[in-house]
Amino acid sequence: MSAVMRTTLATLLSHYRPHPGQLLMLLLGLWVASALWSGVQAINASARESYARAEALFSSDLDHVERRDDAPLTLDDYLALRRAGVPVSPVIEGELELADGESLTLIGIEPLTLPGGTPLARQDADAASLRDWLLPPHRARVAPDSLDLARSDARLPPLEVDSGLPPATLVTDIAVAARLLDKGHRLTRLMIAPNRRVDLPSAFVRTSPAAPASPGQLADSFHLNLTAMGLLALVVGLFIVHAALGLALEQRMGLLRTLRALGVPGRTLVLALGLELLLIGTLGALLGIVSGVILARLLLPDVAATLDALYDATVSGSLTLPWHYWVGGFAITLGGLVTAGASLLWRASRVSVLALGQVQAWRARLQRQLRVQALVGGLLLGVAALLWWQLGSQPGQRELALGFTLVALLLLGTALWLPPLLGGALHLLTHRLPGRAVLSQWAVADLQLQLPRLSLAMMALLLALSANLGVGSMVGGFRLTFLDWLDQRLLADLYVRPPADQAGELHEWLRQRPEVDTLLPTRQAETRLIDERGEASPVTLFGIAPEPILRRHWPLLDTLDGREAAWAALTREAAFVNEQLARRHGLEPGDVLRLKASRGVVTMQIAAVYPDYGNPRGEIVLPVSRLAARFDAPPGTLGVVLAPTQAREQALDRLRGALAQRFTLLGDAAMIDQQALKRTATEVFERTFAITRALNALTLGVAGLALLTTLLAQAETRRAQLAPLWALGVSRGRLVGLQLVQLVGAALGTALLAIPLGLLLAGVLVAVINVAAFGWRLPLHLFPGQMLLTLVLAALVAALAALLPAWRLWRIPPRQLLQEFAAE
Amino acid sequence: MLRLSGITKTYPTPQGPLRVLDSVDLELAAGESLALMGESGSGKSTLLHLAAGLDLPDSGSVELDGQRLSALSEPARASLRRHRLGLVFQQFHLVPSLSVRDNLTLQARLAGRDDRAWTDHLLARLGLDGLDDRYPEQLSGGQQQRLAIGRALAPRPQLLLADEPTGNLDEAVADQVLALLQTLIDESGCALLVVTHSTRVAAPMGRRLRLARGRLLEPGR
Repeated sequence: MSAVMRTTLATLLSHYRPHPGQLLMLLLGLWVASALWSGVQAINASARESYARAEALFSSDLDHVERRDDAPLTLDDYLALRRAGVPVSPVIEGELELADGESLTLIGIEPLTLPGGTPLARQDADAASLRDWLLPPHRARVAPDSLDLARSDARLPPLEVDSGLPPATLVTDIAVAARLLDKGHRLTRLMIAPNRRVDLPSAFVRTSPAAPASPGQLADSFHLNLTAMGLLALVVGLFIVHAALGLALEQRMGLLRTLRALGVPGRTLVLALGLELLLIGTLGALLGIVSGVILARLLLPDVAATLDALYDATVSGSLTLPWHYWVGGFAITLGGLVTAGASLLWRASRVSVLALGQVQAWRARLQRQLRVQALVGGLLLGVAALLWWQLGSQPGQRELALGFTLVALLLLGTALWLPPLLGGALHLLTHRLPGRAVLSQWAVADLQLQLPRLSLAMMALLLALSANLGVGSMVGGFRLTFLDWLDQRLLADLYVRPPADQAGELHEWLRQRPEVDTLLPTRQAETRLIDERGEASPVTLFGIAPEPILRRHWPLLDTLDGREAAWAALTREAAFVNEQLARRHGLEPGDVLRLKASRGVVTMQIAAVYPDYGNPRGEIVLPVSRLAARFDAPPGTLGVVLAPTQAREQALDRLRGALAQRFTLLGDAAMIDQQALKRTATEVFERTFAITRALNALTLGVAGLALLTTLLAQAETRRAQLAPLWALGVSRGRLVGLQLVQLVGAALGTALLAIPLGLLLAGVLVAVINVAAFGWRLPLHLFPGQMLLTLVLAALVAALAALLPAWRLWRIPPRQLLQEFAAE
Repeated sequence: MLRLSGITKTYPTPQGPLRVLDSVDLELAAGESLALMGESGSGKSTLLHLAAGLDLPDSGSVELDGQRLSALSEPARASLRRHRLGLVFQQFHLVPSLSVRDNLTLQARLAGRDDRAWTDHLLARLGLDGLDDRYPEQLSGGQQQRLAIGRALAPRPQLLLADEPTGNLDEAVADQVLALLQTLIDESGCALLVVTHSTRVAAPMGRRLRLARGRLLEPGR
């Protein structure tokens, strides 16, 4: 490094010696921006790593052998194929319920016949380990992050750690799996190497495996949502960085000109400023990434629970971070810093060495900048309006990425408009104030002068407040709709899940009980929906009993000829489809479904579309009787509606006791009352949005920090502006009060813009983002309480941010205020 | 060593172009001291900026030791300023975050010519010894201007350019600073060009010229 560069850099950095707060705020901005972003990315990276492990395990390119008649495979089929010289290998798969309510995916393999090179086979197996595997007590392989969970079950064989397995998955010998899953002679799959060309007996058919068990588009949407929240936090954090950098540059304008006069070339000066950014950025990124990992560790259990509950996606509860996470975290923080600092570097490169101390010129430039901002903001809002119109005119074509683009355009466009709008409002206020309100007039005029410096922090506050209101309204509306929907769907007082062999007997027994009013049996089966092009996609069939209570309450979104006609059609040959399935396949009442049944393809007309919040899958509702007859669906949960009574709880307890005595109902899940089910569903809901709320609150905190940074950094300049007022007889206490009123006023003005923006945001979330991400559309609810809260939050954030600078001003000795005159 | 030939400089203003310097010719020999006098707005600061290579003339040439400044690139002009010129401003322009010693050696370090013995000598001659760990805000106005003069002399320049060097000081302190400047210039053997409106500042200089409405006049005219 040359003497010029070394000395220039040291001189530039020396600025932070008398201004440690500025450096601290710069680092703080980088730290929070990077920490929230890195935290979210750590969660995403860990989840993706879990998905990758699952995909590697389940997406082997082995072919499957199935029965032509679609009947389940058995041990006899396996033996018949082997005898015919077909080198198939059997696999059993199922969910193993553990004692504490958790479950593991158990996969049983037969290692001697399993084709080599598949992820299921252990690559480093030797003769001794194979013997251990095959002979009692056998062995089971489990991922390191699920070892503790597996250890809690005494039924499992000795465990070996296999880091290649996905979380909550256990691989063991097929004999052990058959016993633990109580499968008898039934097999899940028969697999064969794709390059083995053999003739199959006529009863069998060779198929290529379906798409791998990836978590799917819905879980991807969840991660995209998290990324969007992280990005918002990053942007708001970078506002702090920009504000701190801007002030550091403004205060060093004189220094830059002096250095140029003393012989530092302009290019060297910009390079030194860039190097300073790099140094500070590296430190901030390091701090941020480390904190992000800590934040992710705290949030990951909730996220894993959400992904499991909402999307059936199993994610490890412990963090696994690939190398590109660290590099990516660094790159995004430094990239953000360069973005935040680019305009400042440009300004530094344009410093005129002759214009020593021309503050007026700088202000004029700022005014021009404001005009350009308003123009660009208007342009962005125009594009946003066009995009919304475009998305609205193409239902079903709502791309998630376009939805987020719309959100970004709305936020950025309005943020750019904020400073000119605030300026205009202050200008109007100046003319409205009575002539004798001297101090008020001064306060308004002074706030106008402060506005260029405050505008970035206010923009950050606007983004945070509107995101808070928008997401809050969406979640609040979702909550109302969801609870309402739960009430409509969970009509039985008790849900009983009997073993298959006792289902008929239990049904009869309950029918005889005097306290029982109605029984609501259900059945469930998986099949394939065949579309117009002949392509089949998996779909869940859900059987219900169309009893009057269900017909009264079951929510329907769309019908062909009204509710009554829809229910009447259902009892004949029609079906209901859930909103997700309807949107995904562009279905509506009146359309005809083609479904693969145990005996060929069956068709049925859609009578209605119903809401099905929280379900990631497409679902079709049929009467239980038809489901049992055509799709061989086994009996499922039985809903019991009690007869109206004053003593519901006692009646429920009596029935539970009698049921437990009469039937073998294993585990807590076999008998659940409605209240417990609602409680669990609500808990899942709350947990799902816990991370959203946490990130929202953190973003608001970051915006508060942006404001504090700005206020602290300009405290010195402010002192010089306030000292004359003090000299004219305004007490320090009064000055502090004026400062607080100015800031709270500006924050309230910002909040007034944040309210319509937040409502627009909620509209986009409900009408575009949710539909694209989850497949359902919620009604938009407006909460006046939340709007009021936005105003209160804005005032609170501004007051909190102003507290420290105000306290310092209040405590300032008069001697220091006098020095302002000496300096003048 | 410094030659300005046929210098013209015009600035745009809302009322139309304003000619600040009009066909100015000026020469300054090595070791010579020259005071350029004139009222506010006479163009003397512009002339100083052109001499320092901070700005370029519209026409005419500025040569330093035979090197035409307008032929040099911006980095080359900056290098020339760093190594061969010393600048003293009316507002001092010290770096508030650097100590007295670091301010004094700033340009010398930029030029790669930091000489501790010379710095100590300068500190002593400027009456700032013992204050080297202080910061500019802890110094009086006179001390700050002395420090600014020291900073300009620390890299041992060939030419010192001073813009109203005592304009911010009271008469007594200004006389002290001026005397010190003269002594140090004599000791170092560098040339001095001072622009000032004060006859007190101009009096001790070897030569005096007056600038009025952008044209160079003989003193007294």
